[in-house]
Amino acid sequence: MSYVLMKILESAPSRYDKGINLVTLGRMRQAYACLASRIAKGWMVLDIGCGTGAMTIRAAQRGARVVGIDVNAQMLEIAIKHVEEMRLSSSVELREQGMAELPNEPAGKYDAATASLVFSELSEDERAFALLELRRLLKPGGLLLIADETKPSGLFRKLLFWLLRIPLAALTYILTQLTTNPIERLPETVAAAGFIIEEQHTNWLGNLTLLICRNPAIQG
Amino acid sequence: MSYITYALTNVIETLLRLFPFPTKTGLVLIGDPDRMAPVLLTCNYHLTVQRVKRQLTGIDAYLLIATSQGVNVWCSATGGLLTNHSVISVLKTSGIEKLVDHRNVILPQLAAAGVEPRVIRRKTGWSAKFGPVYIEDIKHFLKSGEKDESMRKVQFDVKQRLEMASAWAFPLSVVAVLVVLPFWAEMLLPLTLIIWGLALSIFLPFPLYARWLKHKDKRIGLIFFDFHQGGFLLIIWGLFLAGLAIWSLLSGGFHWEPFLRWAISSFFVMLILSLDLMGSTPLYKSSLHEDRLFSVVIDKDKCRGAGLCHDVCPRGCFQVDRRRHIAAITQAHLCVQCGACIVQCPFDALSFHSPDGRIIPPHAIRKYKLNLMGKRVSKSQ
Repeated sequence: MSYVLMKILESAPSRYDKGINLVTLGRMRQAYACLASRIAKGWMVLDIGCGTGAMTIRAAQRGARVVGIDVNAQMLEIAIKHVEEMRLSSSVELREQGMAELPNEPAGKYDAATASLVFSELSEDERAFALLELRRLLKPGGLLLIADETKPSGLFRKLLFWLLRIPLAALTYILTQLTTNPIERLPETVAAAGFIIEEQHTNWLGNLTLLICRNPAIQG
Repeated sequence: MSYITYALTNVIETLLRLFPFPTKTGLVLIGDPDRMAPVLLTCNYHLTVQRVKRQLTGIDAYLLIATSQGVNVWCSATGGLLTNHSVISVLKTSGIEKLVDHRNVILPQLAAAGVEPRVIRRKTGWSAKFGPVYIEDIKHFLKSGEKDESMRKVQFDVKQRLEMASAWAFPLSVVAVLVVLPFWAEMLLPLTLIIWGLALSIFLPFPLYARWLKHKDKRIGLIFFDFHQGGFLLIIWGLFLAGLAIWSLLSGGFHWEPFLRWAISSFFVMLILSLDLMGSTPLYKSSLHEDRLFSVVIDKDKCRGAGLCHDVCPRGCFQVDRRRHIAAITQAHLCVQCGACIVQCPFDALSFHSPDGRIIPPHAIRKYKLNLMGKRVSKSQ
């Protein structure tokens, strides 16, 4: 019994990508591609909460130089392996850091920042702090690209959402010991931090939201 | 929170002690703190937070709740869930920096296996100090500013033994009820009573037989079968069977079939309860963890007697000679292999040595934490 348990626990992060694919029914892959399409060659990109590197790698493949940060050392080890396999090591830098650990990064260093499934992992305080810090780190006019699980509004959609989510989340948890926490009012929070939301894509059910936001040209 | 709600929370969450129970992270104001009020930090295990708040009644202070993914301080710090990142994040994002004029934070001592004040200071400017192990000592600690020896050590007193017995008995009885219900419904109550009875008789007299428990053996798991390791448990089982036989004789009829049925089911209850007996105490490393075989070794050439090992050791294994500036492990047999001393030593003078001669250096212990099965994986899962 202990051997089986050990195997399950050990390999949880290595099954992260599969778990995410399952809990979001494969929609994350499209979301990564959509966000990556906004990144141009030669840009400096910060990928916050890079995890196993799914978004980092897509940004680097667009020809950007990417700094990926995450507080989960185990996930970062997998990300490093993936980056090496894709032969992108020269354009990717991965660091074990949280959003509160970037005071030495110069303001306006990045052309774009990506945040996929990370705001839902943060507390309200952390989310507000991260958004302020991103306003500082992005160039005026720089892009913030977000993909995250959201809670739908409206009674009918909420009901449908929970009906779908509970069995799906349970199955995913059993298979990968992984779960996500959808957030409420994500666009409002981002806008309140001063970002201009240029595009918002939410699927019909309202549980996956993509935001293309711009750091205002004049800081303030 | 009223006393009744508090008591109820304690009962329910003690029954579910084996499972994580996260609560909101961030800043909580206790009383009416001013700009010089002390800042304390704890994990986001719900029961811990409730108990800390209760103990702080009457004090004006700030309480920071850092994420540990809903696990208690010690387990989350040794398991890589309460990390430098969790502490840094709550210090920088909770708004505490705007509320106080000082930069001193008191951490629970048992966080020392996972949180490094040197890193916190370098990254945030905050100076972190390890307070007492138990929150019951916090008032005394705040008043005197000093920790005495008793505040540094973990205990396994009657209250904690009762808690652990309940924490094991409750989930086990729920599973037993679900399994037995369809075909053996009349035995529900007796089976539940057996589970609780055995759990209490294993945990409550723990200090009586602890000295015969061996944890340095190579084999892991199933300590039950080895007389030296689980002999006392076999005795409890034997007593239980004898009692059962006498009771059935007195009540008018001894039959082999029900007797064997109870003997076998109680054997399994015993087996499950004793599976991680040592790991359920704060006095020993889990018998499922390979680390229990390790010993902490001091490199005398590197040691300069800073004394952090002595400050964070929850078992009082160290003595520091302040005059000669050197530490010594005087009570090695008490070590629980939590690794806190190794993580904290500023000169990397300590390391784990395994029986087969491997050396696990400080950087590996800082980076790789134990998962539930005692295997080192890189921290924070």
